[in-house]
Amino acid sequence: MTKLTVLIFRKRYLVIGLVILVTLFFGLSLRKLKINPDVLSYFPKKDPAVQLFTALGEEYGGNALAMIVLISEDVFNQATIATVHELTARFQLDPGVSTVTSLTNTVDIKTDEYGFEIGRLINAASLPTEGELAELKPYVLGKEMFRGALVAADASAALIICRLQNSTDQVATCRRLKTIVEEVGPAEKVYYGGLPFLILDLADLIGADLKILIPLVSLVIILFLAFAFQSWEGVFLPLLAVGISLLWTLGLMSLLGIPLSIVSNVIPVVLVAVGSAYSIHVVSKFMEVGAGREQHSRAPADLAGTLSEVGTPVLLSALTTMAGFLSFIFGSYLVMIREFGIFTAVGVLFALLIALTLVPVLLTLRKKQSNRTDRRSVRGRNRERSIAVRFIDLLERLVLMRPKTVAGVGIFLALLGLAGIPQLSRRVDLIEYFQPDAGIRQAEAVLADKFGGSGLIQILVKGDLQDPEVLREMEKLEGFLLAQEDIHQTQSVVSLLKELNKAMGEGRVLPDTREKVINLWFLLEGEEIMGQLVNSDRTEAVIQARMASSLEAKRVYQLVTAIDDYIAGVDAELVIFRQTGMPLIYRNLDRSIIQSQFQSLILAVVLVFLAMLYLLGSLTGALIGLIPIGFTLVVLFGFMGFSRIPLDIATVLVAGVSIGIGIDYSIHFLGRYRQEMAKQPSRQAAVQTTLHTSGQAILINVLTVALGFLVLVFSQLVPLQRFGVLVAVTMLSSGFGALLLLPAILLLAGGRLNLRPQGAEETRRTAGRAGGAFKAEKGGIIKNERRGMNGKTESIARFLPGRTVPPGLARSSPGRERTDGGGNHGAG
Amino acid sequence: MARVDQTVSAAQDQEIRVKLVITDAKGRVSEREMLMLQKGGDRRMVKFLAPPEHKGIAFLSLPGGLTYVYLPAYRQSRRIASHVRNQKFAGTDFTYEDMEARRYSGEWEAKLLGEENGRYRLELTPKAGTVTDYGRLLVEVTTDSFYPVRIEFFDKGNQLRKVMVQEKLEKIGAYWVAREAEMKDLQAGTSSKMYFLEVKFDQGLADEFFTERYLAR
Repeated sequence: MTKLTVLIFRKRYLVIGLVILVTLFFGLSLRKLKINPDVLSYFPKKDPAVQLFTALGEEYGGNALAMIVLISEDVFNQATIATVHELTARFQLDPGVSTVTSLTNTVDIKTDEYGFEIGRLINAASLPTEGELAELKPYVLGKEMFRGALVAADASAALIICRLQNSTDQVATCRRLKTIVEEVGPAEKVYYGGLPFLILDLADLIGADLKILIPLVSLVIILFLAFAFQSWEGVFLPLLAVGISLLWTLGLMSLLGIPLSIVSNVIPVVLVAVGSAYSIHVVSKFMEVGAGREQHSRAPADLAGTLSEVGTPVLLSALTTMAGFLSFIFGSYLVMIREFGIFTAVGVLFALLIALTLVPVLLTLRKKQSNRTDRRSVRGRNRERSIAVRFIDLLERLVLMRPKTVAGVGIFLALLGLAGIPQLSRRVDLIEYFQPDAGIRQAEAVLADKFGGSGLIQILVKGDLQDPEVLREMEKLEGFLLAQEDIHQTQSVVSLLKELNKAMGEGRVLPDTREKVINLWFLLEGEEIMGQLVNSDRTEAVIQARMASSLEAKRVYQLVTAIDDYIAGVDAELVIFRQTGMPLIYRNLDRSIIQSQFQSLILAVVLVFLAMLYLLGSLTGALIGLIPIGFTLVVLFGFMGFSRIPLDIATVLVAGVSIGIGIDYSIHFLGRYRQEMAKQPSRQAAVQTTLHTSGQAILINVLTVALGFLVLVFSQLVPLQRFGVLVAVTMLSSGFGALLLLPAILLLAGGRLNLRPQGAEETRRTAGRAGGAFKAEKGGIIKNERRGMNGKTESIARFLPGRTVPPGLARSSPGRERTDGGGNHGAG
Repeated sequence: MARVDQTVSAAQDQEIRVKLVITDAKGRVSEREMLMLQKGGDRRMVKFLAPPEHKGIAFLSLPGGLTYVYLPAYRQSRRIASHVRNQKFAGTDFTYEDMEARRYSGEWEAKLLGEENGRYRLELTPKAGTVTDYGRLLVEVTTDSFYPVRIEFFDKGNQLRKVMVQEKLEKIGAYWVAREAEMKDLQAGTSSKMYFLEVKFDQGLADEFFTERYLAR
């Protein structure tokens, strides 16, 4: 590492030049960055349900239904019917629209004493008069083909359904549809529902989110940095580093042609909140070293030494955080979650890279700080320290005086959390992404209320569709579907055949012979709707059922499973049914969410354990280190249970993210504690020192990350709001775990826990010999800080542990550099 | 256009055996065969001969928009409404409107665009009151026989939707006839081609061919 770092300082201008070049390169490609709000495109191609869904969409004229609802007191009036007609005709002309179905163009089979008519319900060429409409109303409402399908049962709403071409840009199509409605300017209230409009709204919200959240999180970080560093470079450099790494990450995504999804649009916020930490440590380390010496050496070798000291722990911290994000790559069902994991990890890597190259180079380029700045920063620091220190004092008193109470509270909270877990719910449907007052939610409510919802269950029928037996099986299945509570509407060729059979004088039942079926098929040939219901060979058909789109995952699960069970009981020799549609895909998504939650949790826990084991060299220690993480998880899931925040595609990430970031707290605390145990006379003293060094750093880190993520509350997307709240909650609970629970347990466990490092005796002796001053100083700091009147500290790094370790001492213990610095970097 | 109308519907009556080849969007082909009897401009009988499962199905169009269909499996004929001109005829890309005995001059306003390779290029726009699905037609007519050989159908958004090509012009007796007519639906990617296998003109077809009773035979 040292060789490399020396090189960094020798070739300062090369480093700066390279960074500028790379930034320009990525910055230019950034313009091509796209937003892809289409969730469907992120479903795995290898899921049979997804394959079938796509195949049905291509085969039967698209399965993306854009639904436009017109609300009127009674839609059977000339103005409304004229509007429906005009909209239908104009939608039909749009190149992105495959078919349009509405009252004014739907197929109808009218029967009278002379014969029948396969035609349009309403003759578009001469729209009905008010008188005709009055006659038409009871006729239409009496037919199940229309009632609740194209017109509400109480005639208060008319529905226009646009099937969108699968291969076109559906967001653009939806925008055009809205423009058409605006141009027509209907007097009726209009609602836009269905998946395509939902995705359009998502696209707009993502764009709006990025514009609000990035400045906001930057502001929060700026305020924090200004507060902590009281200097321009303290604010400017970390922000610059984060900005550059963000630019690189988004530029790379753009270059690779990977658009921002409804999950990865949170990457900027996460990077600003998490990635700024690395530069902060580097800046504080250099400021501290610079301030500590009268004549600060500018020799590359010395600078490199400083960089190495701070670099190792920063590296370790970044690696654990990256591992946390990378844990999403495995077992995640949605491609977008994998992308989020990969590119956040890449962003963290970039932030690390900039923090270890550009930031120190820029820091050492400028001249020494003016005295004025120094004075100001000291004043500010004192004020801040007094708050932080007072808080740490409080924690310390709690832990030292009442370890049992602390442990008791911890156990109580954990039990409370456990009690909340059974109430944990899961949501997978996209409507959850919107605020309760969002237009799309109102539209979905109207659709559910008047038209049975916009959720689409599709069942592929494979069999001889000229065989009356097969048709009867379809009829039975539709009966079964309609008997389900949340399904209100089915559509298949069965109802058309029954109508025609009635028209031929044999009643509204399926034809009884094959020949009759074949005759009727002939009559229906060429009807536009047939292309949506049956293939040209009459060997495949589709049954569609509409259901409410905002059901809880559990209910969706029950429904699709019940349907699958029914299908399994059908004679496969005769006919094969296969289910697909968003509800089934949602169930698979739901299953995968649980599965990937488990996988990423296990991965993260194993990771923590290994890191602890490596750091402490003690199995017991490593197990203790798991306590705060376990505590955090129980609190997290309990909190979600009680607050009714469901597990969804965004909140499923919280556990992994929190462990990835929160893991550092335990590592730093235990690392420092173990190190202090080698130097301090008692466990109490070790805990005390650890709290005032690493503890303070952890506290500051907890607060920054929590604040940074709380910015997400201002997101327009509900899961992202929840994501922000939950990360904040887990930061606080893992802070509690590391700062209170962990020390309390360490104290209560007594002599059974031996966390003294191997060779501790030697270390202590070395410390006594070479580091007398160090010990004294350390004690002094604790005392002074507790009184809140230490005036001789020189930089923010004062709070950061490890900076006072003489180089000789640092090398005497194998774990020293790491644990030391670990505390240091925790301060971000 | 009046001359075109004259050319196309010149005969008193005609009897045509038509093979219909339908190609769907995936290139799968199916065939039908039917017998078309026509008398005057407004009486027509279409009877399917093949494939076997459609044999016997028959349509009858009479003046005043009366249309009947006969389904052999039900042994019944029923009147069907025929005002729906934009529906596809029997699964082809020809709509009822396209299949109608065409008289352009009455319903369309024609504008001569030019002459090229022995063909007139005409633009047809619907006259006020004309009920049609189309917004505009581009028609190419042979200069010698005034037979329409290519028609491009534009929808009301002025997008080209369908193209019809009539080929293999032949003079049978006193009348010009195209032996092949193909309609392509550009949006659906399907096409339908009619082959006029046997064409007989002016046989003096009896009126009884054009009755509901005859449908069942």
